[in-house]
Amino acid sequence: MAVRSTEEAARRRLRTLEKYGVFGMVLLMAVVLTLLQPDIFLSAQNLTNILRQVAMNALLALGLYVVILTAGIDLSVGSIMALSTMLLAMADVAGWPWPLAILVGPAIGVLCGLVNGFGLTVLRLPHPFIMTLGTLYTLRGVTNLVSGGRPVSGVSDTIRFLGSGEIPMPFLGKFGSIPVSAVVLLVCYAGTAYFLNKMSIGRHIFAVGGNPQAARVSGIDVNRILLVVYGMSGFFAGLAGLLMAGRTGAGFPNAGIGAELDAIAAVIIGGASFFGGRGTVLGVFAGVLVMGLLRNGLNLMDVSAFWQQTLIGMIVVGAVFVDVLRRRAGRGP
Amino acid sequence: MSDAAHRGPAAPLLEARGITKRFGAITALDGVHLRLFPGEVLGVVGDNGAGKSTLMKVLSGLHAPTDGEIVFDSRTVVLHSPRDAQNIGIEMVYQDLALAGNLPIHENIYLGREPGRRVLGFTIVDEKLSRKMAMEHLDRLNITVKSVDQSVEELSGGQAQAVAIARATAFEGRVVIMDEPTAALAIKEVGKVLDLIKRLKDHGASVILISHRMDDVFFVCDRVMALFHGRNFEEAPIAETNRNEVIGWIMGTRGHAAGLAHEGA
Amino acid sequence: MTRYTLKGLLAATGLAAAFTGAALADTKVAVIMSDSGSANPFWAAVTKGALDKGAELGIDVAAVAPAGGETDVAGQIAMVEDQIAKGVVGIAIAPADTAALVPVLEQARKRGVHVVFIDKRADMPGTYIGTNNIPAARIGAQHICDSVESGSDVAVLQGIVTSTTGQHRAQGGREGLVECGLNLVAEQPADWDAGKAQTATENILTANPGLRAIFASNDNMALGAIEALRTAKMLDQVMIVGFDGNPNAAESILKGELAASVAQRPAVMGAMGVEAVLKLVAGEELPDEIDTGAELVTKENAESYL
Ligand SMILES: Nc1ncnc2c1ncn2[C@@H]1O[C@H](COP(=O)(O)OP(=O)(O)OP(=O)(O)O)[C@@H](O)[C@H]1O
Ligand SMILES: [Mg+2]
Repeated sequence: MAVRSTEEAARRRLRTLEKYGVFGMVLLMAVVLTLLQPDIFLSAQNLTNILRQVAMNALLALGLYVVILTAGIDLSVGSIMALSTMLLAMADVAGWPWPLAILVGPAIGVLCGLVNGFGLTVLRLPHPFIMTLGTLYTLRGVTNLVSGGRPVSGVSDTIRFLGSGEIPMPFLGKFGSIPVSAVVLLVCYAGTAYFLNKMSIGRHIFAVGGNPQAARVSGIDVNRILLVVYGMSGFFAGLAGLLMAGRTGAGFPNAGIGAELDAIAAVIIGGASFFGGRGTVLGVFAGVLVMGLLRNGLNLMDVSAFWQQTLIGMIVVGAVFVDVLRRRAGRGP
Repeated sequence: MSDAAHRGPAAPLLEARGITKRFGAITALDGVHLRLFPGEVLGVVGDNGAGKSTLMKVLSGLHAPTDGEIVFDSRTVVLHSPRDAQNIGIEMVYQDLALAGNLPIHENIYLGREPGRRVLGFTIVDEKLSRKMAMEHLDRLNITVKSVDQSVEELSGGQAQAVAIARATAFEGRVVIMDEPTAALAIKEVGKVLDLIKRLKDHGASVILISHRMDDVFFVCDRVMALFHGRNFEEAPIAETNRNEVIGWIMGTRGHAAGLAHEGA
Repeated sequence: MTRYTLKGLLAATGLAAAFTGAALADTKVAVIMSDSGSANPFWAAVTKGALDKGAELGIDVAAVAPAGGETDVAGQIAMVEDQIAKGVVGIAIAPADTAALVPVLEQARKRGVHVVFIDKRADMPGTYIGTNNIPAARIGAQHICDSVESGSDVAVLQGIVTSTTGQHRAQGGREGLVECGLNLVAEQPADWDAGKAQTATENILTANPGLRAIFASNDNMALGAIEALRTAKMLDQVMIVGFDGNPNAAESILKGELAASVAQRPAVMGAMGVEAVLKLVAGEELPDEIDTGAELVTKENAESYL
């Protein structure tokens, strides 16, 4: 009996660590940065900078989180973002009216995501790693083909407003304001949380990640779920492309190179399980913040960017190790 | 098998006719017939690999048969997915349980059929209702769990089995198929499951029970049929056979029954 | 940590006179590169030049680059924002993308942070500090003029002639050779490529057996030309001058095969970036373009280019 209860306690501790560890890390980093850079870190300007800087990774990570919930992976989000940014910039510069132009990014994103889903469900490629690795290269190539490898600048003000505009908040001080992109994030995160937790299709996504066979025998159309999740991942990548075009005022062929890895890292740091079926939207955002704060803090202290990579790698391993420990304890006596 | 093997005047509720199922080069089922009458508990026995689970997966819509047809309520049906089978009232407890370990008990029970309201083609889950229904249903089945919010991976084998049974009975299916539901259970829990099968029968449901345990088969079944190497071997009303005969069927032998009969219960 | 503070030396230079002592010690300047020094010797030299200049002036200079290198545009944008938040007076930047950095740099100027470009310019107005390839190539040509008799036959190997760099180096080389009275017998494109340069050199030698010198617009082509000469056993007769000061060129120079190479001066670029920012802060007007100049790599100094 005693053994059982201490094991139980250990399991509960691990679960707590997995659930709330990442929030503790965000808090800790915020405190450390405040102590190290008291005048700069908490300035309204720096805080809005952080929100703007994490926006793209936050959207990509949100899409990847939904995919990883099904124990899948989407390596193509960086390339989808590049293609969306580029085509959107080209449409905008070509004089499309802005309500149409802003749809180009997300629409291209959804289309690319459905292509990934199509490869998995209809072509029955053995693992999403392969299909999305293929589209990672293909879409990057298409981006370079349509642009000739050159940036397209001169994006209109409406789109720039989305990426770099700010909504003034007088109570935040002189430069105090909330970036428009932060509002976009809020809507996406809240919407996805509702979708995943309150709607049956969201629960089915969790079920597919937990046990695809269970989902199938429960009458869930697993292929349809896969199309939905890869479509969503593409959608958020396209939306990130829209924000990127707004932030840079341009479409440029190198957009989002390596961004898929940052997004995966954020999801894992955020406590989602790489094996599927586990995680929270809030955790993912915390994971995004951990990476954003690390980058911001090291930049403010002019620490070499290589430290950023080193530390993020260590945090990823730590986060997964907690997941492993939990699984081991979860198997129980 | 013969027409004399089943009893009662009623037409079968569920009938499989000449079901063949091939997986690539493997023929798991070869022209198998099965009849299940209303309110009947049918035992299906056979050696490991005889094709029992495969036949049930065909009946529950998970596998499409390579050949043959399924008749339900005197109508030929084509089951494209487990959803189709559920819609006409065929429910199944899978041998490997097929539960999503990461989800709580109540979500597993209603997975794919969550209670809630429909908005624009989507279902907004009513979590409270799901919990309440799950608790009531588990109570009815005499199943006790700490909380319906416990995730299934935290449950013992017997508890998980109970959840799988709860899922198959939550919608009052007319046919409940149970693939070795007692294999993982302690004696006390086996009794519970068998009682449950009897109660399902009393409520008018038909049950197919796959089991390797002769005690189970002879305790709850009205009739027993044996598969051997993917084919029908023998079948008989339970009253007209005995354990040793059935054990012989499982091993692919006939006729030893008389000599060994006295060893039976 | 690529950060350096040294308050002692601030009185010395003319620039420093523009500041009061206290203000100067707090002056922060950021040099934001597109690739980091530890990954690339060119940027290592830029970093060193910038930090040394900071130490000399007693100001706080940060030389940083995004983690993802030249393709990490988002990382570089974030770096600009973070440096602005840190309160730098100015930024010298080698933009990772000519278009994508424009909004954030405009933002910087709006907040009163001065911006100059090093090595590469973004699509916006501002002072650009880099190597002007025309005078740099003339330095190489001059070395040939100094080494062979007037009137000798010489040739130029061009890079990709549709690129500005290719055009400028070829132009500087041609003008330098012709102006000092040499006889330019051939000008052939070899697309920066060693193999193509070898073929082109063979053809030039066949047509001009009396050739005395070749100016190659980069080191790769210079080394290709050397292979052609080696095969033709004419290494002693023809001198080759390259461009870039690459380590393998320096090696060839020390072996006595390549005569010389023209090298950019990245350390000067780093220092000039810092200086240019400070001049803007002091209210000076700067030209649209500042040439860092180039230097000749010969046997005397090739050791430091290895
Ligand atoms: N998905 C599949 N792919 C290939 N072969 C299969 C598949 N499912 C079952 N089989 C094969 O079909 C045959 C029948 O298997 P089945 O699971 O129906 O046996 P069973 O009677 O349920 O045995 P057990 O008592 O061990 O559960 C076996 O030879 C098995 O290997
Ligand atoms: Mg079986």
